[in-house]
Amino acid sequence: MFIIRKLLPLLAVFFLISFDNIDSLADDQQPCYGDAFVTASIADARTLIPILASDSASGDIVGLVFNGLVKYDRDIELVGDLAESWEILDDGLTIVFHLRKDVSWHDGVPFTAEDVEFTYQKLIDPEVPTPYGGDFKKIELLEVIDDYTVRVRYHEPFAPGLASWGMSIMPKHLLKSADLMTTSFARHPIGTGPYKFKRWHSGEIIELDSNHQYFEHRPWIDRYIYRIIPDQATMFLEVQTEGIDSMGLSPLQYTRQTETKFFRKRFQKFRYPSFGYTYMAYNLLDEKFKDRRVRQAISYAIDKQEIIEGVLLGLGRVCTGPFVPESWAYNEDVRPASYDPEKARRLLRKAGWQDINADGWLEKDGKRFEFTIITNQANDQRRRTGEIIQRRLKEVGIKVNVRILEWAVFLNEFVNKKRFEAIILGWSLSRDPDCFDIWHSSKTKEGEFNFVSYSNPVVDRLLDEGRRTFDRDKRARIYHRIHELLYEDQPYLFLFVPDALPVVNSRFKGIEPAPIGIGYNFIDWWVPKTEQRYTR
Amino acid sequence: MHKNALAIFGGSIVLILVLVAIFAPYVARSDPTAIDIKDALLGPSPGHILGTDQLGRDIFSRIVYGSRVSLSIGLVAVGLAAVIGVILGSLAGYFGGRTDSIIMRLVDIMLCFPSFFLILAVIAIIGPSIYNIMIIIGLTSWMGMARLSRVEILSLKEREFVLAAKVLGVGHWKIIVRHIIPNGIGPVLVSFVLGVAGAVLVEASLSFLGLGVQPPMPSWGNILMEGKAALGVAWWLILFPGLAILVTVLGFNLLGEGLRDMLNPRLRR
Repeated sequence: MFIIRKLLPLLAVFFLISFDNIDSLADDQQPCYGDAFVTASIADARTLIPILASDSASGDIVGLVFNGLVKYDRDIELVGDLAESWEILDDGLTIVFHLRKDVSWHDGVPFTAEDVEFTYQKLIDPEVPTPYGGDFKKIELLEVIDDYTVRVRYHEPFAPGLASWGMSIMPKHLLKSADLMTTSFARHPIGTGPYKFKRWHSGEIIELDSNHQYFEHRPWIDRYIYRIIPDQATMFLEVQTEGIDSMGLSPLQYTRQTETKFFRKRFQKFRYPSFGYTYMAYNLLDEKFKDRRVRQAISYAIDKQEIIEGVLLGLGRVCTGPFVPESWAYNEDVRPASYDPEKARRLLRKAGWQDINADGWLEKDGKRFEFTIITNQANDQRRRTGEIIQRRLKEVGIKVNVRILEWAVFLNEFVNKKRFEAIILGWSLSRDPDCFDIWHSSKTKEGEFNFVSYSNPVVDRLLDEGRRTFDRDKRARIYHRIHELLYEDQPYLFLFVPDALPVVNSRFKGIEPAPIGIGYNFIDWWVPKTEQRYTR
Repeated sequence: MHKNALAIFGGSIVLILVLVAIFAPYVARSDPTAIDIKDALLGPSPGHILGTDQLGRDIFSRIVYGSRVSLSIGLVAVGLAAVIGVILGSLAGYFGGRTDSIIMRLVDIMLCFPSFFLILAVIAIIGPSIYNIMIIIGLTSWMGMARLSRVEILSLKEREFVLAAKVLGVGHWKIIVRHIIPNGIGPVLVSFVLGVAGAVLVEASLSFLGLGVQPPMPSWGNILMEGKAALGVAWWLILFPGLAILVTVLGFNLLGEGLRDMLNPRLRR
């Protein structure tokens, strides 16, 4: 017995050596179950109720536990998720969804059209403080035809309507008598998604288990572990010691800290354009910024390429308007303004700003051109962007102060209440180009997204039209025009579109970068048996 | 002698720092806020003796100009604390009774708050700026001074010369200002010097969190903060401002402790 025990590992070693090549060949081709995917987030999730979750951590978990009726595929086209198919009728006034019949909630109860109706009712319930209600208030009537058919009728044709059904559907049987604001479901969600909720220790870890009955197929990776690590540098150390398997790198980490042999062997790095942009927004109610020439001048005074080099180390592109270059709404003909401080000075002079007392700063009506940019704490990129803008505007005679505030204070006290002159912020965009909420003049109330108080009747009309038009080409023309107009008006100083820079441990196979990124086929990722690290 | 040597050493550090801060434009030739992306993250070299940061700014200049921020915040904040502390402490010690109770309970209340978090909270509300930081640090760090001066005055007011002044009909204020404070100032002075070291650290911590001095004004804390993200590739961003803080705090501490020993008659030989 003793000898055998001693021998066994030896034999195993022998087999491993002799069959290593064959084994790994087979492994490389044949996905297998097991292992865990450990990733990390700077911030903890807030709530796992899909229609209330608005922060990115909550969104990450909700996205794995729940499904919508539709989703975007690898090429950013809408495909069915819980809906098997759909029909758009009456020139876009009506959508009929045919739901999958083979879906059940994680507790075994079948998923039906009732759940869709329930989710819709909660979305439009004035008692429920959801940020996603807007698109669903356009619905005139939602009818359950039978258990697996839902008909949605809009007041008027609403092009973003179909995409809005990517909203995660919630289980009626668990939530019908619950108060969404207080229910324990927020911390123990039950969905239809590829992963089942297991546990959540606040500020520490969220764990999910794979759903063996998932309707597409059982995910290859058994566990999904989401750790909360509130510091980028610490997170990076964890990646290097393989404590976590994936994170989004900073440009500096991407270019300077991951070019080692060790890193290239153990990790796969990706780079693709993110779907969002960073900007400096002006308060258009402020006298200084009411004149469009002033805003245009500032745009000429700032070298956006310099910001991209300085802040993103070149890993990003110049932003010219409210869309990213990957979007079909993006207008290629809008060229970024060249860096031309002389032209900036001329425009400012035309707008009445001159350095009368020769102190290096511009004045008008005896008042110096001075304003404060505020942005949030713990975002190096925004702070450094502010410092570059500050420096370049000093060169044309505008005094800029930069103020950094804690996130909640920044958002609640300054942005939402419009108590600012300029702010640096970013938008992450939905795939549909509808940006009504950001630019329409009706969206300027406290807490709404047009906090710069932008108002242009032509843009308002085009935004309305864009929502009503279903034809992709016609719609593209409308958004191209919006892009042009916003570029001329410069309500924001559009700065840059950063690249997403995720890194994933190289034991994960099956990752296929696509226009939408890498996470879209997570359930197809797998780890060869020999490389699995987490076995229970 | 040995103790004195340390005090002199600390004093020289402080003196050099003060001179550097005053003559910053002559010590550092390049503009601490001049951005040049092409020169980003250069290591120490003859052109930039302490290297450059992510925006290509010269670290040496930034540290030199940062000394102005650190020292002015340290001196003004602790000066404010000393004024408040000494006045309240003297009143409490001299008058005793109810005045004493009220003032000392106020001190107890203030001491209940962990002062750094109090400072953070106040900064979050009124917004960060160099003046706000001076005032807030001052308003949250006078309690030690108050206790010290109270104790000092409790013993001084029983002395014969105070009694003599009272007998001569000298007023309360004059007794406090002319006779008691000058005689009891020693421990307060020591506490003041040590307090500056503390305030320099608080300012660095606040700036490190991004809630201190606002850009583009350089401060040791915010140079460190920027360096943290680049720790793996640019050690000079952490090392030099860190050293600056270390040396400054060390200098003030040595000076303070040396002063204490010199002013303490029991230790005087």
